[in-house]
Amino acid sequence: MIINGVFIDDTYAEAFAMKATRIVITADNLTWARHAANAAFGFATSVIACGCEAGIERELSPEETPDGRPGVAGLLFAVSTKELAKQLERRVGQSVLTCPTTAVFAGCEGEESLPLGKNLRYFGDGWQMSKLIAGRRYWRIPVMDGEFLAEETTGLMRSVGGGNFLVLARSRSQALAACEAAVDAIARVPGAIAPFPGGVVRSGSKVGSKYKALPASTNDAFCPTLRGVAKTELSPGVDAVLEIVVDAVTDADMHVAMKAGMDAVCGIGAAGGIVRLSAGNYGGKLGQFHYRLREILA
Amino acid sequence: MTTLSLRAVPNGRVDMTGVLPETLAGRRADDIGKQIIHLAGSPLMLGDLFEVDVDETDMLVIRTDSDRLDCLGKGMNTGSLRVEGPAGHYAAQGMRGGELDIRGDAGDGAANGMRGGLLRIRGDAGAWLGAALIGDRTGMAGGVVAVEGNAGDRLGDRMRRGLILVRGQAGDACGARLLAGTLVVAGGCGTQPGAGLRRGSLILGRRPEAIPPSFNDSGRVDLSYLGLLHRHAESFLPGLLPASTQAHRYMGDLAFGGKGEILVLA
Repeated sequence: MIINGVFIDDTYAEAFAMKATRIVITADNLTWARHAANAAFGFATSVIACGCEAGIERELSPEETPDGRPGVAGLLFAVSTKELAKQLERRVGQSVLTCPTTAVFAGCEGEESLPLGKNLRYFGDGWQMSKLIAGRRYWRIPVMDGEFLAEETTGLMRSVGGGNFLVLARSRSQALAACEAAVDAIARVPGAIAPFPGGVVRSGSKVGSKYKALPASTNDAFCPTLRGVAKTELSPGVDAVLEIVVDAVTDADMHVAMKAGMDAVCGIGAAGGIVRLSAGNYGGKLGQFHYRLREILA
Repeated sequence: MTTLSLRAVPNGRVDMTGVLPETLAGRRADDIGKQIIHLAGSPLMLGDLFEVDVDETDMLVIRTDSDRLDCLGKGMNTGSLRVEGPAGHYAAQGMRGGELDIRGDAGDGAANGMRGGLLRIRGDAGAWLGAALIGDRTGMAGGVVAVEGNAGDRLGDRMRRGLILVRGQAGDACGARLLAGTLVVAGGCGTQPGAGLRRGSLILGRRPEAIPPSFNDSGRVDLSYLGLLHRHAESFLPGLLPASTQAHRYMGDLAFGGKGEILVLA
């Protein structure tokens, strides 16, 4: 399959079942909601060492938020409910509770729930107040700028993490420009985030390493500097490869997000230096979800 | 819709316990007419006092021009009951769900021991609205009460949970002995608001003549919680709360733990 001069590899992205939640952070203005969200969802690129993968899903107008203030919706993904609960509490406790004027609310429903303000309320040292409004419990925790308002729980969703595609280009700058366009397109898809810095990864990995302590190591088959010595996957003329990783609330969201991203890359096409699109997988044995690039783009 | 129309002003107080949408649904008019109620403590059939009309919907309408019908909506769990006229005492007593809409005034003791559902009073409410059932330690413990007019004395006495909204004024000792929950009175209140308040929020649209001395001034505050409450209240009494989240906070009652608050809206 060739689209706009870009060869689409006959391969698939291998993704995993994950646990996810959505939270809504509001503040007096969007700047401070973003500050809180950037801190809470920062250092959340990969579950390998960050505990969770997280990012801003979209910005919300005052009409869309529970307390009528501007805000942002963010998604957090982890491999287990226990780890997700731990990361959520830490990140909201250290980055939202601490941030001036903010409040935090559940952004989704779920069969199960995760503590949001449920444990953070103890920061109030006995001065916290509970309010039950329309069947939902909120905690009012006194802080130095007034009160931190936190909904007691948020929902738990069964989701998909680790969808990906690789952009193979003639130069690093051309690969990056295409990836920026892809990330912009994915950002417009509800229910999906690209958790890496700017949404783009340069350090794609393979399973295993020559060092016994490491479970993963650099994906040498796609490293242009190793073309001459390692078994390479790079076609002639490819000088740089970047990867987009996507986490999504549902399988359908993942399809939409990957298609939006790859369409954006293909739109730039061979004229913009894009040679191929490929994807990362582990032979299909580890991940429950397989996203075949050609099927998505068909 | 089942419609019960009061034939004449009864010569005593009528206990309407058991006359609910859930108990009358699916029954024929002659069967409903045989439902036992009590007039001045003596049993009689519903059909002796009311004309009964039945159609297919589950809504119950009671047409009355007398305020002697007590216990309307008592123990209601589900469905919709509209009272076209005044209600007597103890309306929505122990109510757990559904909606009771009183298109007139309500007597004393409405929503006593209420646990859930929605009570609308388009006119004025009497004393002890949302308070405890006689002998109970706690008052209203859930649901929403929305009053378009005024409320009498002891509004929300010993209230444990839930939300009471009053567009008009409240009498003396509103929010007295409040245990938790939220009480909003937009039009001001009488003396001793929040006396004995333990936790919970008494929110006043107008500054009372005096805040009880056992409340300490905590100054002007900005509470995002009020934004949340504003949105919720709009669905029951539009325009009741201002969009502003500014209020003056008094914490108390310090003679009873001091964990509650009176908020006077800015």
